[in-house]
This record gives sequence, C-alpha cells and structure tokens, in this order.
Amino acid sequence: MPATFVIAGANLAGGTAAATLRSEGFDGRLVLIGEEPVAPYERPPLSKEFLRGEAPFEKALIRPADFWEAKEVECRLGTRVTRIDSGAREAILGDGDVVRYDKLLIATGLRNRRLGVPGAHLDGVRSLRTVADAEAIRAEMAGATKAVIVGMGFIGAEVAASLRLSGLEVEVIEPLPAPCYRALGPQIGSVVAAIHADHGVRMHFGESVDALEGAGRVERVVTGSGTRIDCDFVVVGVGTVPVTDLLDGVGVPLDNGVVVDEFCRAGPRGRDHMPQGDPDLGIYAAGDVANHFHPLVGHHVRVEHWQNAMKQGAAAARSMLGASECYDEVHWFWSDQFDANIQAAGHVSSWDDPVIRGDIEARSFAAFYLQEGRITAAIAINRGRDLRRCLALIKARAVVDPVLLADPDTDVRAAATT
Amino acid sequence: MGEYVAVGDAGSVPDGQIKVFPVGSHMIAVARVEGRLYAFDDTCTHAACSLADGELEGATVVCACHMGQFDLDTGEVLDGPPPDPIDVYAVQEADGKLLVELGP
Repeated sequence: MPATFVIAGANLAGGTAAATLRSEGFDGRLVLIGEEPVAPYERPPLSKEFLRGEAPFEKALIRPADFWEAKEVECRLGTRVTRIDSGAREAILGDGDVVRYDKLLIATGLRNRRLGVPGAHLDGVRSLRTVADAEAIRAEMAGATKAVIVGMGFIGAEVAASLRLSGLEVEVIEPLPAPCYRALGPQIGSVVAAIHADHGVRMHFGESVDALEGAGRVERVVTGSGTRIDCDFVVVGVGTVPVTDLLDGVGVPLDNGVVVDEFCRAGPRGRDHMPQGDPDLGIYAAGDVANHFHPLVGHHVRVEHWQNAMKQGAAAARSMLGASECYDEVHWFWSDQFDANIQAAGHVSSWDDPVIRGDIEARSFAAFYLQEGRITAAIAINRGRDLRRCLALIKARAVVDPVLLADPDTDVRAAATT
Repeated sequence: MGEYVAVGDAGSVPDGQIKVFPVGSHMIAVARVEGRLYAFDDTCTHAACSLADGELEGATVVCACHMGQFDLDTGEVLDGPPPDPIDVYAVQEADGKLLVELGP
C-alpha cells in the first residue's frame, strides 16, 4: 500500500508543502483539505493590490489552477478537518468523511480575533482573512465615503492605506502608541504613523472601542474616551488566534499554536523543557499555526508571515519524507503602505539604540538591532538592498562594527568583523 | 530576429551593476556580471518595483521590494512572490553603443 499524506490547510503553507512533496518524489496518495472553496492562494494581495482592484485574484494563486490535478493532489475544498484520531491515524472532516493518514501536516493557519464590544455583529462590520472577506470589503468600498479601521497592526495599516488610496476618508483606532507596534517598535512605528498622517489617515492611538452603533447597519464607532466617529463601514483587525481545535485531545502540546521542533514535528516528549518532535506520531505543523523551535532564535517562535509559510511548508514536506535538515531560515517579512516598502528580518530582543543607516526623515533607512555586539534583526523602510545584504549576517549571528554598519557608503556585508 | 536598439553608450554599465534605460515607455535593465551583459525588463512582475534597485547575485537579480528572484539567462522566477517570469533580451556592445534586441 502506498502511503497517504494528509495536509490540513489548503493555503500557502499547505499548498507549498503539497507541491514540494511531489517535486521531491512522493508518489503516494496526497490529500489537501481546505475550508475555503478555492485553490491555494497567498494572502498579501488581499489587503493591497487585490483590495484596490489592481490585480485579479488569479495572480494570487500559488500554482496555476490546473497544477493540482496534474500532480494528483486530491483537493478537498470547502470542508475542514474537525478532529484527529491519532491512534487510528484518521482525519475526520466537517462533511463527515474520514481520511486515513500515514503522515499529517497541520497548516490550519489563523482565525481573526473578534471585537468583543456591543454592535460588533452589525452589518458593515468586516474583517480580513480570506478572499471572500476582501471581496466583501470591496463591496463596502463602492459608494462609501468613510471607513473606520479598528486596530493598526499590519492588516489594519495596510487596509487603511489601500482605502485611502482608493479615495475614502479613513480613521483608525489603535490601543497601542503606534502602528504595527509589536513588530516594529516605538521608533519605526512612529515613522509609519507619520507616513499615514501625510496621506490623510486620521489615527487615534492609546484609544479603545466601546461600541459600534447603528440601526441594523453600523453608522458610528464610539471610542473608550467617548468620541463618536460616523462611518459607512468598519474593518476590524484586532489580532488572530491559531486554529488548533482539530488537535484537542490528541495529546500534542498546544501552546500559542502547535508546538513543533526544528524539523516541524509535533510530539509529546520533553527535552530541556522543550517539546521534542516524535517522528513516529507522524504529525507535523507549518506556517502561521506552528510554534516552532528556531535554532537561530534559541527558543520557540510563531510568525504570521508569507516567507515563513512558504519556506516552512516546504521544510515540513521534506521532513515528512525523512530528511533531517532543520528549519532555520531567518524570518523575514514585508509590508507595503503608501510609498513605504517596509521589510524586517530576524528577531528584535530590545528596541533600544538600533544602529541607523540612511535618513529616517527621508524615509529611506535601515535600523539594525544588536545583542552583545551581534546583529539579530533589521527593519528597513525603502532600503531593501541593505536588508537583503544583512540576512546572511543575521544568520551567522555576526559580530558587527556599528560604525561601518551605519555608513551608507560601506556595503552592509563589510560590517561583519567575524 | 528582433531589431537591435541602441539604449546607451557602451561601457555605461560597470561590472556588478544594473542600469535602467527607457525605450519609449518600456524600461529595460542592463546588468554586467563578471564581464557578461544581461538585458531584461526592469519592472518586477510582482509589485512593479524597479529591478535595477535590487541586488545581483551571480546571474540572478533579487528585487529590493520583496526578494523575488529572477534568472537573468531565462527570466524564470527562482524564488519569492513574483507570479510570472520577466522578458530577457539579447544584448551586445558595438560601435560604442549598448545594443538590446527588442521584440519583432
């Protein structure tokens, strides 16, 4: 009997894993299961080009539409894995079907956190995760003049930019002191706030939402400080929750996602207080849902970005085929907001005293974050080449010369002293 | 065979660099890698960034915006988010000019 591999999640991580299994020679049965009724696609355009009507959905497909059938990948779309019986090695689907697996990849991603205030159920209150969500926001945009965005993480900030670029008035409410605060910190967060302000986005930081009001349909947002903001619709971007309910009762550690080792393997055993993957269990995880041990960071991390979904999906596939190469890519992501191309790599341990190369005022700079003289992370605005060049330094945990690192006339790579 | 168009002066692209030359509304990038010239569409197929702002890694160009990677011999996507390849063109230096063979 040829082996059956099941992938829960027909998205960038799951789809890339399926494609990699085939390109690496897996010739068993391959079942890709996804809740959305569409072939695997990538989500970055949903808040940007697709939302603004500049690119068709087909551009977001991770492989051409006919790829999956040609590669004999059984796509079970419009249903999800609701439960795993790890003893019988069975995935139980929402439509009642049961698929037996030899190896299982959890790539179920995230769901959006809901806004827990009165009126959150009103018509015209939207969030963004799927292409259907993006289409619903586009429908709201038609004929609207003003939107309120609740939350200014990356989704909120990118949607704010896209709506503004589409000619809408935009106000944003964010409880933290700056946009994308957790990922970019206070200093660069304030640069991003200034970029939005320049483009006419009105922002309320340190502010919460008390209620959404309207007769059936949202008409205004009431903030914690009592301000009432009239609007035609609302987009909520207040964070996400990893989708792990299908593993309830299985016994694999669930802690901020599915806990996996550096080979993307889930497993119950402990080692140095860290769960260690059990290859015999046959359960793997990749992408947004995977809280993975990262050798470079030195602890478990979970990241919600495009590059990790793709690279870790591929790494999990190789691991499922028995490869023993650990996943240690330098985490990297981008966000495009107005004319700012923001990129970040690595993990920042302290926001204090980054080495700055370039001109913050001119919005062309890179900030390098050091820990005991070694470069661990970088964030760049409109400075992609410098960011690209420092990836190898981050990966090597290189000791760097801060003076050379700050000098725009010196190649970033030449700042390494080890 | 397409027509060779003079886009600039011979020697205007130093080794290890990428320069952009407008041909009508079309932006053509020319790179020199270890002495060899490559000509290709400057506009990344992903988010329309200028590939000349990117990085050469051998005969590969890495887009500065989102790290899309293209093979300069074939135009193929090697990594990253671009959905489509870029067009690549024959290029030579003759009579003091940089000549790119553009479509028929």
